[in-house]
Parts: sequence; structure tokens; C-alpha cells
Amino acid sequence: MNKTIRRLAVGAVASTLVLTGCGRDSDSSADGSTVGVTSEPCPDAVDEDKGCIYLGVISDLTGPFAPVGVPLTAGGKAFWDYVNANGGVGDYEVNVTANTKDNQYNPETHAQAYSQIKGDILAMAQSLGTVATEAMLADSDADELLVVPATLGSNWLFEDRVLEIGTSYCAEAMNAVDYGVDELGAKGVAAVHFPGDYGDDAMVGARIAAEERGVKFTDITVDPTATSQDASVKAVLDSGADLVVISTGPTQVAEIVGGAVASGFKGKFIGSIPTWNAALLGSPAGPALEAAYLWATSFPLWDTDSAGFEAMREANGAETPNDYYALGWSGGYIMKAVLEQAIADDDLTQAGLLAAAKAMTTVESEGMLPEGSGNYAGDPNEAAVRVSQFGIPTKGASTGIGPDVDFFTGPTAAGYQFEEACYLQK
Amino acid sequence: MTELLTAVSNGVGQGAVYVLLALGFVIIYKSSHVISFAQPSFMMAGAVLVSHLTPKIGFWAAAVIGPLLIGLVALVVERLVIRPMVGKAVFVIAIITIGVDIVVRVVTGAFLGVDPRVIGDPWGLDTVTVGGVQIEHRHIAALVTMTVVVMLLIGFFRFTRLGLATRAAALDQEAAMAQGVNVGTVFAVSWGLAGVLAALAGIFASGGQPLDQNLWVIALAALPVIILGGLDSLGGAVVAGLLIGVVESVVRSYHRDWFPGLDGNTGSLAPYVVMLLVLLVRPQGLFGTKEVQRV
Repeated sequence: MNKTIRRLAVGAVASTLVLTGCGRDSDSSADGSTVGVTSEPCPDAVDEDKGCIYLGVISDLTGPFAPVGVPLTAGGKAFWDYVNANGGVGDYEVNVTANTKDNQYNPETHAQAYSQIKGDILAMAQSLGTVATEAMLADSDADELLVVPATLGSNWLFEDRVLEIGTSYCAEAMNAVDYGVDELGAKGVAAVHFPGDYGDDAMVGARIAAEERGVKFTDITVDPTATSQDASVKAVLDSGADLVVISTGPTQVAEIVGGAVASGFKGKFIGSIPTWNAALLGSPAGPALEAAYLWATSFPLWDTDSAGFEAMREANGAETPNDYYALGWSGGYIMKAVLEQAIADDDLTQAGLLAAAKAMTTVESEGMLPEGSGNYAGDPNEAAVRVSQFGIPTKGASTGIGPDVDFFTGPTAAGYQFEEACYLQK
Repeated sequence: MTELLTAVSNGVGQGAVYVLLALGFVIIYKSSHVISFAQPSFMMAGAVLVSHLTPKIGFWAAAVIGPLLIGLVALVVERLVIRPMVGKAVFVIAIITIGVDIVVRVVTGAFLGVDPRVIGDPWGLDTVTVGGVQIEHRHIAALVTMTVVVMLLIGFFRFTRLGLATRAAALDQEAAMAQGVNVGTVFAVSWGLAGVLAALAGIFASGGQPLDQNLWVIALAALPVIILGGLDSLGGAVVAGLLIGVVESVVRSYHRDWFPGLDGNTGSLAPYVVMLLVLLVRPQGLFGTKEVQRV
């Protein structure tokens, strides 16, 4: 059922793309130059002698996921500013601002935005929203469009045009369960999650690991529009679980963790990347989160000592540190490596970028991406990053999260063979 | 039994928020026969304003000044946008209030920012246990506030000149005007009161949790409340608000036991099902005035 609805949604948005888009036979424009690449300097160029590569960004800047999309976009821009200031890429600088669009987390708006910019961009530096991105890739003009996604769904492992970064929600949930069983002695696991690709991906990962480890599993779907999360709290308590893998938004995390701890829950919550926001520490649920919540991520934390983090922190200046800003910055290394390879191959076209990506086995990220990142040459199981670390809410820490459990790969994630997106196995 | 009573307790707390919202809807409807869809935006604006004021002047002062300022905003909206439309079809005015809602929410969103904010209330997630039932302080506070507000409104409508004028205009605008009632003032007061009530509802709706862009959705639950209680009945809004809050909370809590095969929580549907069932028997709602048409 879920699969059918999903296909219908993708189909509907793809139809919109066809109806609203202008056809284009190749990635060469009428004057023979490559689409998204000009010999003219970028607007606000650092070096006027260099040409310009235009990358697209379609993100949620004013919708429900704006707390993710806004810093992610700012981080991406800061990365390319940093690259341009340090000589650019080959004979080019990179511009990500001329073709930045707000999708308001609406697939229809995303489709319209893509139609507006597809004739002007070489690739997508960011695309936020799984359904919207899938629909965009179904467009006939996107046959060779390279995309850095702003989601960590396991579906991207099966798409050559998508340069997935980090551990998927699915593998991360497996690590959470393995940690819970091995280190916390968990006997029962509950997955509290949003419906849809994000929450379902994590839920299926937790379920697979729970089955593998022989512990009881309870699936609890959260209504994102519910006026109160009392029902989710009751479901957690009723489940008897002592480990809860939670994949919702930050607001729901505060309500559910706060409510459960206030009702006597003694176990641990481990949350997917989108569950955290530093503002939660100042909320009434702050003490409960400090006591019973861990944040799972495959990316190094803000204060990590590396050249990349140092440059990023300098670029962020006096602005409040934000982990999504760091993610936006990190994703840039992958696209930069692909651009450099395409230039070295003398094929700076969409087809050239795709060929360069398919040949990549690793990426130099100045310490910003997890181990195993950047392998797009292998099959999905070779490409999948499987490490996780857990952070703990900490007052005074830059992004409200301090280190707690160092990088590891649990036995379930290590041995799992990805054959299709986890959320499709719901 | 303890579980059921806990669900009821949560429902009463949530219901108190619905009551505050519904009273605003009813007051505007009584004065002008218009359903104002701007209430959700005033609720959100109130919560956001209080979240900004609290760090500067403390929660209690913010909880008084914030709603008063939102009442003032509602007054201005009424004077600039609604008053010129008096005499037009009520349907048209209702649609205009949707536009007002969108504008106020967009402006409020700019002050909310991208990260969740906190209202800074003193109740947090603290609870008191009575007979094994955990009752949240914020729910008690919402219920007490709602009770005080209802009593103040009763006093206002019964014993003040302006309140009596409002009731007179609600019964028959032309007759009231003939008796010297300034209907324009009545409209303004009703909008101002509704703004204050919505902002108060916003404070309690965002208590104990971070406040984000989706807060306004809570106000949608007030729509079945006003239909159920009767569009022109303040007492109906109180009874229906608490009833809907409790029914919704109980269904949400027992959804997994009653409907194990359903993913989405039926608690969201419960207010509408209750409303439908009551309307089948009493089309004017529980306490609404039965419409009589001369044919």
C-alpha cells in the first residue's frame, strides 16, 4: 500500500515536471557550451579570470523542515565560498546561490523549482525531500543529473546519480539496537517513528536488528500532526521496551522523552539525526533528554579537531554552531571531488560528472566525513557507510551535544546485505 | 483504571486549551455571525510573543502583556480589514479571515525563526500524583485559567454595560442600534477578546514542549468544538471543549488496543466523529440556538 502511494506520488510529480518543463536533448546549450558551466566569472567571483560552475540547491527554507534546510544551505554555501577563496576547482569557481530554490517541503513546488533551474545547472549540490528528489530524477532531463541528497534514506544506495553521504537511517538504527543489547542489556526495543521514508527506514533497521538479536520489538507510529504525544508516551510505557529508537522531529522527541521519563521510564532513547535541535536543552524536557537520550550520527561532532572543521568553524564565525550547517559543508567535499575528476577527465558535463562519480572509491574530506565515505564505484553493499557514534545532550557543548559513544559498527549493520531500501520492507 | 484516568486528566488539560480557543470563535460569531478563521494565527502569535517577552520581563508579566498585545493586534485587524466589510455576506468575511490568518502566521513565522522556541512557563513537565493518577501541573494551570476566564466573561456579559450591549447586538443588531448600542464598538470588543483568548490558548498549548511552526494546527480542533457546543453558546464551548479534549485523549491512548491494524492514530478523527454523531441528533449543536425560519 505504502509502495503504491509512493509510486503514485512520484508519478504525479514526475508528470508535473513533464508538463511544466522545457525539453532539452543534451547537456549542451544552443551556443555549444555546457549547461551550468560558463567561461564568464561567477557573480561575486573571487578571481575574475576563472569561469563558473553553477550548481542547484532545492531545499526547505520556509516549510516544516526549515530548521534543517536553512543551516544545511548556509553550510553548503560557506563550503563553496571556502573552495573559491582557495583557488576554486580547476579553472572554475562554483556558485550555489544563483539557483537556490525553496521547496517548502512540497514535492509539487520542488518539481516547479527544478523546471526553473534545470537549464542552468550542472548538478544539484542539495536536494531535500525523498519523494521530491525521486520525482526530480524521473524527469527525462535528469538522466545524468548528479545529486547530493539532504536525507539519509537507504534508498539512495541503489541510485547511481545520487551521492549519498553518511550512514543510512536504517543502518544507524541497527547500530542503536546492537549498542542497546550489548552495552545496556536491553531486552525489549521499540521504534517510535514518523510514517514515511525517514521514520520507516529507521524502524525497519531497528526491527531487523531486534530480530537478529532475539529481543522483543514494538513498532509505534507517531502522528506528526497530533496535538499531544501522550498516546506515544503510553505506547512506549506499555511496550515494556528498555531501548527506544526514535525517528521523529525534535518537538516530538521533547514531548515523548519528557513525558516518558516523567512517567517513570528508566530505559534509553536513541534518536536519528533529525531528532536533535540544541533548543531542546532549554525546553522543559531538557533534564529528561540529558538523562535518557542519545543522538546517533555518523558524522564527526562540531568541535572535532581537523582541517575541515577548523575552516568550517572559522566560516561560521559568531553564528550559533549548528550540526546541519556542518552537514551542508561536508556534502560539498563529495561534489568537489567529482568536479575535480571530471575536469581531469576533460569532460565537465553531466555525463562526465556521472562517469567520474561511478569511478570514485574514496574522498578526501579533511576529516569531515565518516570512514568509508565516497565509494560510489562498488555495489550498494560496498558503498554503504555503516559506522555510528552517539552524542549526549550537554549544556555548554557547541551544538548542545557532547561525545558519548565513539564510532563503531554493530554486528547487525556490519553483516547486513542491502537488497532494497529498508523502508520498502515495512 | 489508572491509565484511563490519566488519559482523562490529559484530555481535560488539552480541552481547556480548546475551550479558550472556542470561546473566541463563539464571541465573534455572536457579535457578527462570522466564523473567524484567524484564531489559529492569533494563538500562534500569542505564544511566539510570550516566548520573546519571557526572557526580558519574566513569564508571569509576559503571560499578561502578551495576550493583551495580541488583543490589540486583533482590534487593529478588525478595524482595518473586517469593519469595512460590514454588510457584506458573512461568507465573504469568513474567507477574508482566512487571508488574515495566513498573513498573521507568515509575520509570526518570521519572529519564530527556524529553531523551536520555549515559552518559559514554570510548570514544565512537573506532575502531581493523586490516587495513582499522574496529573501534569500545566494541565491544572490550563484548567484553572480557563475557569477564571469563563467566570470573568460571565461577569462581563452580565454586569457590564459593554457586555450587555454585546449580548443585545448578538440577539438583534438593528434593534440594538435603535437602542443606542454602538455595534462597531461591539465588533471591536469581540475581536479584541477573541485575540486575548487565542493568545492565552497559545501559552498553554505550547507549555511543556518546544514551540514550532506547526502550533497553529491545534486550533483546528476548536472547529468541531464550536459546532458541537453550538456556534452561539459560550456554555456550549466550555462543555464541548472539555468533552472533545477528553474523547480525543482517551481514543489516542487506547488506539493501539482498539485499532491495532491502523497506522494513523484515530484520536485525530475522534472530535469529528463525536461532532457528527451529535449533529445527527441535534443539528444546532448541544447548546446552540435552534434556527427558526419564517416560511
